[in-house]
Amino acid sequence: MLFLQLLLQGLQVGALYALTAAGFALIFGATRIFHFAHGSAFTLAGYTFLFTSQAGWPWYLGGLASVGVATLFGIGIYWFVYRPIQRHEGSFFTVFVAAFGVGIVVQNLVGMFAGRGFASVDTPLSRATEVLPDVYLAQVFWVAIGLSLVLFLLLTLFLTRHHAGVALRALHQNPDLLRAYGLSSTKLSLLAFAVGSALVAPAAMLTAMTSGLNEAIGHHVMLISMAATIVGGVGSLRGAALAGLMLGVAEAVALSFVDTQWAEAVSFLVLFAFIIFRPSGIFGIAQAR
Amino acid sequence: MTAYLTNLASLGAIFCILAATLNVAVGYAGIFSVAHAVFFGLGAYAGAQVSLLLVPDALLAMLAAALVSGVLSLCLALPALRVRGEYFVAASLGLQMMAVTLFSEAKTVTGGIGGLTGIPGPRLFGVEVSTLPVALGALAVILLATALLMRSSFGRTLQAIRDAESAAEALGKNVAAAKALAVAFACAGAGVAGALFAMHMQFVNVESFTLDQSVLIMAMVIIGGTGTLWGPLVGAVILLSLPAGLAFLPFIPSTEVGAVQQVIYGLAMTLLMIFRPAGLVGDLSRGKSHA
Repeated sequence: MLFLQLLLQGLQVGALYALTAAGFALIFGATRIFHFAHGSAFTLAGYTFLFTSQAGWPWYLGGLASVGVATLFGIGIYWFVYRPIQRHEGSFFTVFVAAFGVGIVVQNLVGMFAGRGFASVDTPLSRATEVLPDVYLAQVFWVAIGLSLVLFLLLTLFLTRHHAGVALRALHQNPDLLRAYGLSSTKLSLLAFAVGSALVAPAAMLTAMTSGLNEAIGHHVMLISMAATIVGGVGSLRGAALAGLMLGVAEAVALSFVDTQWAEAVSFLVLFAFIIFRPSGIFGIAQAR
Repeated sequence: MTAYLTNLASLGAIFCILAATLNVAVGYAGIFSVAHAVFFGLGAYAGAQVSLLLVPDALLAMLAAALVSGVLSLCLALPALRVRGEYFVAASLGLQMMAVTLFSEAKTVTGGIGGLTGIPGPRLFGVEVSTLPVALGALAVILLATALLMRSSFGRTLQAIRDAESAAEALGKNVAAAKALAVAFACAGAGVAGALFAMHMQFVNVESFTLDQSVLIMAMVIIGGTGTLWGPLVGAVILLSLPAGLAFLPFIPSTEVGAVQQVIYGLAMTLLMIFRPAGLVGDLSRGKSHA
């Protein structure tokens, strides 16, 4: 029964990983920017939700504020950091270092103003009940799974049915042709950052309700999103989301074989193996070398 | 006060070695490793174990450390040969995260979180010496080797690979061997720094070899200027004197000094990448094209 418990826990964590990974993959796929500060959007969204709920706001207002903060952060970092760098043909490493710097600043500012250590939002949703003998499940589980399914469905519809979504996919495939057709790649990149960053907010809120937040959590989120994007295959949202789910399950299930402190190492072992043996990922087109 | 300054200078020399060797990988070979602290750690543990179990000789410890780090640098060279760009950064991040877990769990070799204590100080041929001259000597040797290597045909090959890998390969350069050698040189250098660090502190634990340390070393190289001989040293001195300098500012509460320092170097990294991507020492015109 321990195995089933761990599996369910893994699914819940994996659903949240899938959301953040889909956001990262959307941004990386459309704009080719390795958005290393993606985790910072998560941290900011999570703490916004935490503060608003401590201030007594109803959850939907707090949720809206949290989505807003994440979106604004995504737009801001593109406008003030990535765009100036890309203007002077910055290489990927320039972008990476700049994003890493932003991540460090956000982590420490949050640590200074919100305090260090774990903090969580207490809701009746996260109270576990026994559903099977020795298997405990909180309602948050269904919320996490349902929310990620709905959001992923909406995202897929947006990318395949809506004009802007189709344009985003075109930006990924051929930015020059896109510009030749009179579409603005800057506006579309902003859109990608806004949508991709907004996707982390629900994951951040649910994490705040379940395992809690700390100021360094963005780091972990960023590493997992990056790992999932690469394992899933760059350019494939489906792959990233699936790999995120898989990493969450692998981390949890590994706990029945090894100790807790190895959980994160399991994710990186998977990533390392993929990079060496199949750098194009599960669904990717071979393009790494 | 003298002891404080000597300590700071010794650490400065050790971090200069780290930054200078990482620069060989990042600046000359275009291998953007964020796992340099792993090899720093491997060297530190190797040096510490040699001093604890065999003889506390600085040269022997540094040699053992360089060997261990150099051989295990294969873990980094392997992904470097397979992928590049974002993928390699991701692979080295993965290596860094796994190594930290390994360092804190392999208790027989590394002492786990508690670390290794009572490491004897550096000795040369049985005579006790202070770390500073040894570290400065090692730094000088490494800088000289770097300068000579980068002017040799090997160095030119590396820079050619960095700028246009396919072109270098088409000209018959052995890309795989050159990359592997550059990584081995960089990691062996980090190992030497690790052995010196272990003997200087007389105590090592996993806290010194985390991702934060790797990023700090990377920031030193970037802020100073990649692909220059002196840039990494400038970066190392600036970033190391930052905490010492901030400690003297009265208006920052002492509990927040660490965070303020991190914010400053995070900001410095971001702003520098926006306005001067080649670093402080780097050539601006070169930086514009591909830094």
